[in-house]
Amino acid sequence: MAPSPRFKQVFVLSTAMLSFISFWKAAAVVLCDLGSSAYYAGGIAMNAFGPAFPWYVMAVMLFAGLMIMVYVESCAMFVRGGVYKVVNEAMGHSMAKISVSALIFDYMVTGPISAVSAGLYVSGLLYNVLPLLHIGWHVPPNVFAVFFAVLVTAYFWRENIKGVEESSDKNFKIMVFVSVVGAVLMGWSLLTVWQRGFNVPPFKLAFTKESMGWMVNFPWLRSIAIVGILMAFGHSILALSGLETLAQVYREIEDPKIKNLKKAAMLIFIFSLLFTGGLTFLASSIIPPAMVGGKYADNLLSGLALELNGPFWARLVLQFFVVVSGSLMLVGAVNTALVGSNGVLNRVAEDGILHDWFRHLHKKYGTTYRMINMVAISQIAVIILSRGNIYLIGEAYAFGVMWSLVFKTLSLIILRFNEELPRGWMFPLNIKLDKVYFPAGMIVVFLILLSASAINLFTKRIATISGLAFTAVFYAIFQISENMNRKKAKLYAESEDSDEMLNLRKEDDITTILPELSKPKKILVPVRNPNNLVHLKSVLETADDDTTDIIVLSAKIAKGAHLEGDQGTITEEDQDLFGPIVLMAEKYGKTVKPIFVFSNDPFYSMAQVAQAAGADEIVMGVSGSTGAEVQLERLAMAWGMLKKPGAPAKPLLARVVWEGRQMTYQLS
Amino acid sequence: MISYKSTGSPMIQQSDGVSLSAIVKPENIIFLDGTPSREEAVRRLAERILPQVDGVISRKALLDRISEVEKLNQVLESGFYIPHAKFPELDGFFAVLGIMQEGFTDPASGLRVKAALLLLSPHKPAFFQRHLNMLSLLSQTFQPELIEKLASLRDSSAAAAIITGR
Repeated sequence: MAPSPRFKQVFVLSTAMLSFISFWKAAAVVLCDLGSSAYYAGGIAMNAFGPAFPWYVMAVMLFAGLMIMVYVESCAMFVRGGVYKVVNEAMGHSMAKISVSALIFDYMVTGPISAVSAGLYVSGLLYNVLPLLHIGWHVPPNVFAVFFAVLVTAYFWRENIKGVEESSDKNFKIMVFVSVVGAVLMGWSLLTVWQRGFNVPPFKLAFTKESMGWMVNFPWLRSIAIVGILMAFGHSILALSGLETLAQVYREIEDPKIKNLKKAAMLIFIFSLLFTGGLTFLASSIIPPAMVGGKYADNLLSGLALELNGPFWARLVLQFFVVVSGSLMLVGAVNTALVGSNGVLNRVAEDGILHDWFRHLHKKYGTTYRMINMVAISQIAVIILSRGNIYLIGEAYAFGVMWSLVFKTLSLIILRFNEELPRGWMFPLNIKLDKVYFPAGMIVVFLILLSASAINLFTKRIATISGLAFTAVFYAIFQISENMNRKKAKLYAESEDSDEMLNLRKEDDITTILPELSKPKKILVPVRNPNNLVHLKSVLETADDDTTDIIVLSAKIAKGAHLEGDQGTITEEDQDLFGPIVLMAEKYGKTVKPIFVFSNDPFYSMAQVAQAAGADEIVMGVSGSTGAEVQLERLAMAWGMLKKPGAPAKPLLARVVWEGRQMTYQLS
Repeated sequence: MISYKSTGSPMIQQSDGVSLSAIVKPENIIFLDGTPSREEAVRRLAERILPQVDGVISRKALLDRISEVEKLNQVLESGFYIPHAKFPELDGFFAVLGIMQEGFTDPASGLRVKAALLLLSPHKPAFFQRHLNMLSLLSQTFQPELIEKLASLRDSSAAAAIITGR
């Protein structure tokens, strides 16, 4: 009689199988969002405060560099770097809920503004091309933009329901294309400027009644120069959207993470400065101000292409490429807004501040479709309500991004005093006071942000009303959800469908997941206690991600069973083990394959998985109850028992690792 | 042979091969009648191994140590049991194999045990690799088919021959 199998079913944690990307691709993902504002920020700013707009768009892009540094510090900390986690850590639950409500509002507006802008660019191109093709269709640009934006949003709505993940490869290709078109546009613009001469944009601000908002009632305030500057800065700040994507993409940056994050940050800054700041500046110099605020207000870079020196056909070809590249980027930003908002909502739902109803998974695709529906429907509503008027959406914009950044920066300042744990990187200009690094530089950034946000409350009426209303509604949803979840937690010991929420995939046998382990070297890391992951840390520090599969094995002990058929469910306690594992893998930028088995002998399950996977190494943490030698003895016996008599087996390195020490032996 | 060191690059060498013929000899094989308990079976194996380590380990030290480590030892899924203990005074392996026609049911695992081998090893870092190799080899050798075959025998020479393949 052969030994009966100790386990049959295997659970694979697919949410933790992160694949890591280079800093180039990480930068491309962020730039698809951040860089897309180049297509509309200039026109909106021009209509708000006149021909001085390029100075302020440039100032916002320089300020974006500072905010990118703030994000680098937040990513390099001991908690995840997104707004929700950081604010929660520093200022508590309520402030975190307010800031995440503001952030979701940002996503609700980012998608529509990008989609409508793409529609307006395409409409502008058709306006020039259709007469050449003797097609007499005339669709008002705003109507076309609404239809286009709704279609694009609906498409990505469907794609997100289907669970089509955002591809960094696609983003990278788009950014390469955009860079080439941008370089041609910039080069040709410089040539035109050289031929025509350069007009320095005026500094004088000319606010419209609409752009002054409630400030119309405070003429004495407007006469203060700094207030005027902040008002203009606030109207240009929509060029800052997309920074939160950096916090999300940081999870996926490959090892060495901080170094690569800094490279990505530098790349994002330089590109944004040249692309958004530089092209806006050139557009203001080449296009007459009346046309910037009129004919080309909705498609400034198309206008730049068409107003260059050269034959019309060549300018039309350039406009075509500008529209194609811009549409790809803007449409990508629509998807990023859906993916980002769904990610943030999932994150807060994990913390129990969004009712489980929202977390219900789609039967076929396994996605959190109710969250996606909510965001997509809101975005479509914004598009329709805007009637294709990008200035109107621009007016609603900035509330979310500004206030979420205010809360985040303030939280980072507070954490400098509350939490002395080392950071991977710190925002510059710090004064060492005893154990604390007083964040002088970051405080200056915070004061600028706070001032601009406060001024925006008065000047951007639509943003203030809609932003406050939306934030209040979302805060109420979070509060009610939290109360309901709290009551539910008292009624039920554990969630009935907790397996699904972790995206656990059930397999009948370990052999079915072997094809997913394709790297030449394989290391098996058994884990049991989330507080004892020193051994996993040592593997993540030393393993080469390109050549090594790291299999993290957790065995739930089911005593006395021969484990036929279903072995039961994974409890929340079991799931809790995976959280620190995923965080640690993210921190080191290494891919891990977490699998969960039911077994009545952990050493048997280790040996069985190791032999099935052809592992080269097993790295265990030391057991406080038995000690390293007993662990190795039990593993040696399980390893021997599973070997077929006489059959050669691949030698296995068995290591037990604990703080500062390790024991290493070979099992053959 | 082994490494036991502060964290750094592992220093591994292929271990010396271990062989069952050195420890599984007819004179070290006993047949235990009836259905002894797990503790009783281990005690009888310990009594039988005492002469082999006479003058090196006292009876009390041996029984105390075996009793201590017995709590950590586990019966293998194959129904084979390897109670084992390490002593710094020893320089090599010592073993006694007990074969039981009826066997006993292990209270911890519920498994039926018809063969148990008491293994004593040197408690020296340089020997631990060989100790692991021996445990692995024993576990690999004593599969359920072999155990059933041994349980039907009453001749220790025949049992040793089957085990060592000679």
